Amino acid sequence: MENYLELLKQDIRFEEGLNACMNCGVCTAICPAAEFYNYDPRKIIDLVQSGDNNEIEKLLKSEEIWYCGECMSCKTRCPRGNAPGLVIMALRGLSQELGFFVESEKGRQQLAVKRTVGQWILDHGYCLYLEGVGTDLHPEQGPVWDWIQDNYREVFHRLGANYQGEGPGILRKIPVEAMEEIRKIFEVTGGNRRYEKIEYYSKKKAEEMNMKLDEGIDNEYFRYIYKTNNGSHTK
Amino acid sequence: MGKHVVVIGGGTAGMEAAGQLAKEGFEVSLVEKEEETGGHIKDWYKLFPDRRNSSEIRDYLEKKVTSKSIRIMTGTYIEKFHSYRDGFSLFTQDGTELKADAVVVATGFDLFKSEKKEEYGYGIYDNVITSADLEAMFRKGKISMSDGMTPKTVGFVHCVGSRDEKAGNFYCSKLCCVTAVKQAIEVREHLPESKVFSFYMDMRMGGAYYEELYREAQEVWGINFIRGKVSEASESINNKIVIKVEDTLAGRPLKMELDMLVLMAGMEMSEGGNRIAALSGLKKGENRFFAPLDHHFANNLSNVKGVFFAGTCTAPMNITETISHARSAVSEVINYFNNTNS
Amino acid sequence: MKLEGKKAIWSEYQKEIADDRFFYVRSCVRQNFFPGSETTFLKIMRKELMKDIYEHPCHTTCTGIGYHGDIVPVETAMTVVARQFSLMTEAGYENLLPSCITSFGLYTEILDTWHHFPEVEEKIRKQLRKATGREFIKPKNLAHASDVIYKFRKEISAKAKFRLINKNTGEPLKVVDHIGCHYAKMFPSKGIGGAEYPYVLAGMVEEWGGKVIDYPERRHCCGFGFRQYLVQANRGFSIACSKEKFESMKPFKPDMIITNCPGCPMFLDRWQYVINEMEGKRYGQNGESIPVFTYEEVAGLVLGYNPWDLGLQMHQTDCEPVLDKMGIEYDPDEKYNTSIPDEKVKIPGLVNV
Repeated sequence: MENYLELLKQDIRFEEGLNACMNCGVCTAICPAAEFYNYDPRKIIDLVQSGDNNEIEKLLKSEEIWYCGECMSCKTRCPRGNAPGLVIMALRGLSQELGFFVESEKGRQQLAVKRTVGQWILDHGYCLYLEGVGTDLHPEQGPVWDWIQDNYREVFHRLGANYQGEGPGILRKIPVEAMEEIRKIFEVTGGNRRYEKIEYYSKKKAEEMNMKLDEGIDNEYFRYIYKTNNGSHTK
Repeated sequence: MGKHVVVIGGGTAGMEAAGQLAKEGFEVSLVEKEEETGGHIKDWYKLFPDRRNSSEIRDYLEKKVTSKSIRIMTGTYIEKFHSYRDGFSLFTQDGTELKADAVVVATGFDLFKSEKKEEYGYGIYDNVITSADLEAMFRKGKISMSDGMTPKTVGFVHCVGSRDEKAGNFYCSKLCCVTAVKQAIEVREHLPESKVFSFYMDMRMGGAYYEELYREAQEVWGINFIRGKVSEASESINNKIVIKVEDTLAGRPLKMELDMLVLMAGMEMSEGGNRIAALSGLKKGENRFFAPLDHHFANNLSNVKGVFFAGTCTAPMNITETISHARSAVSEVINYFNNTNS
Repeated sequence: MKLEGKKAIWSEYQKEIADDRFFYVRSCVRQNFFPGSETTFLKIMRKELMKDIYEHPCHTTCTGIGYHGDIVPVETAMTVVARQFSLMTEAGYENLLPSCITSFGLYTEILDTWHHFPEVEEKIRKQLRKATGREFIKPKNLAHASDVIYKFRKEISAKAKFRLINKNTGEPLKVVDHIGCHYAKMFPSKGIGGAEYPYVLAGMVEEWGGKVIDYPERRHCCGFGFRQYLVQANRGFSIACSKEKFESMKPFKPDMIITNCPGCPMFLDRWQYVINEMEGKRYGQNGESIPVFTYEEVAGLVLGYNPWDLGLQMHQTDCEPVLDKMGIEYDPDEKYNTSIPDEKVKIPGLVNV
């Protein structure tokens, strides 16, 4: 078993996020995730701080580290200058590096984030690229979104967009040279490696669970991780 | 002996030091910037741990400084501070020169300005008050909300401005926990129908009979102690205070509505002390209080020969400790004169 | 509630905002949901305020949503951001102006980290050089687009054709100002007014005639939560957060909500629609919902721009109640019309919330 605390310390956000915790609870008091989920950031920090390797491994495989919404309300208030939100980010990073994320329902969802936001970044240079993303995946967007999807280019043109056009502007086509640079950055800095790990461990898990996992979002495993909520996450 | 000692600050430490110096035969000038001596003792109603009247301490101190050898100068502050090889020359704001053979600095503390802890809304929400505001209500004999009504639920917030990087003070102010317990009991005494909560991180009961007072607060007065630092306060549509806190022992976040919230403001180096530090070259510690030459065995000595510290200008202290510290300062003054004479 | 107390705090948290010559970087969410706002921002900056504001065609996402979705490692995010700085240096600008609050938070966080850990900055410089051959100079000034509108709120007020006043009663409109979490919660000194009582939007509202409402859940996150919204199974969290805010603000009877973050107006808008669908509940007065605006939309309305040029037709929650209160005239038929007149446009049904 690796020394997880040592691995966490290699993440700069862990360095910034944890000085020493005195368990005052202001973070949990203000945390939106603690309000709704079975989640307590103070307990997580206390556990990590203890350095108990077995417990940290359990944490990395748990649902708990995936409840945080990264709003950083905790960082504003902590009297010791800690930031549970940053520690959570370090934990999530390590959980994916080690493949532990597939052991929890919430953790498995990382594949969904990677295949949507992650893919749009590398394909288009935007975190969101929503033509064709309709109210079947996002019913909460409402009837206005149906209208926008049906009249996509016209709606955007009316509002001054340069949709998939040359030069500056809203939702412009980002030049090939620029996209090449982004892809190289992902290559050099470990971004691709992260994506590959998410895919690799997800594939193994899908096999283990006897589910089909093909490319893209239209497959059994993707639908499963995107929609499944076992109802045990909240109070 | 003919030596003249100037005592800067006419609070508990300054008055005790002045009185003791006079007893030892010195001429004393006691310089106090407010119009009255007494310092913070004037702000208290009853004192912990036994809830005796603060006036008893005040009477004792006033009697102590009644001496022909003590010149009390109220409404006076030091504007210039010169050190020489054989003494000091201090000037007050109206140009009076005080030639001193030794100086005792007893500039005391200020309460942390609770407005700086913005998330509690002091100075914004009417029913968020400080421990000092509450003590003033005790002195007037009436605890009431901003609209004159009697509060039914009162919450005490420990550690406001202490143990808090965000507030700029890493240290513990030591006395706020026992003050909170005392005030909680007093609220229950005045308002038997009230429900009182105390939100703490630790219960620091480090003085004689403090822990017993904490027990009494629970056993006799039914005060609810909840272990959690209050994260924020806001105001509901009917002017009640809504707080968010985690009950860390139960591991559950709470949202509570209270009629009144009392902030236990910590202690800081006083403004007067800061001015003296700037004028005199006296060193301050990392906690911004004056830095004694040695914390253990030279706690009244400063980095300037002939200048001594008495009281809370060096660190948070209760009245007992302040009076002892002032007396040991006088003992150091005597040592100093003996050594320089021989 | 004593306003003087807040004013004292606001004066503590002032911030340097550049005056001119801005390098504008766009927001992924706003380009997809509030394109009218970005267009309006540029129009106000260039046509009303005569500012030099430049957009490099090769700039990309900062990867903020990916970073906070935990799929983009911190070094990757830092290097992409370094590339943005490089584009800015290349174009001869020093004042970085992000449109997105997550971007603003990310840029602030990265600059702060590099300040405390210069070896990290060195490493990122090496990686950027290795990947792209680029060098960069860090921005001299970093301000969010809402900071700039705040800075020029008086100039906008001077040109105002409408004010945030109910023309029927003469009373100021009651406005909820909702600040994006990543604006000031991470680094309170980097936000005008700090984290507890941010003033960036309140200042605009007050200058333009409205009145800001204080309510208990003022500081509560809208619930975006990145992965908490992106993945369908988690969306309950997102809507629960917004609902908490709505329940808290309702007794104070707000007329409208103004926001400065890309995601927040989208969520506060859509979740009102969903709560109405699920529970039949609305949070405004007279059985209405509370219209939600970006600050550019509000600035545009105040300046008398056509509401459909601002993009209000892309909101799910109707904005007309506020337009009516302000006395703004608009053509309802134009709302769902697009710029191609012969095209048969499908009008959405049951949009009114």
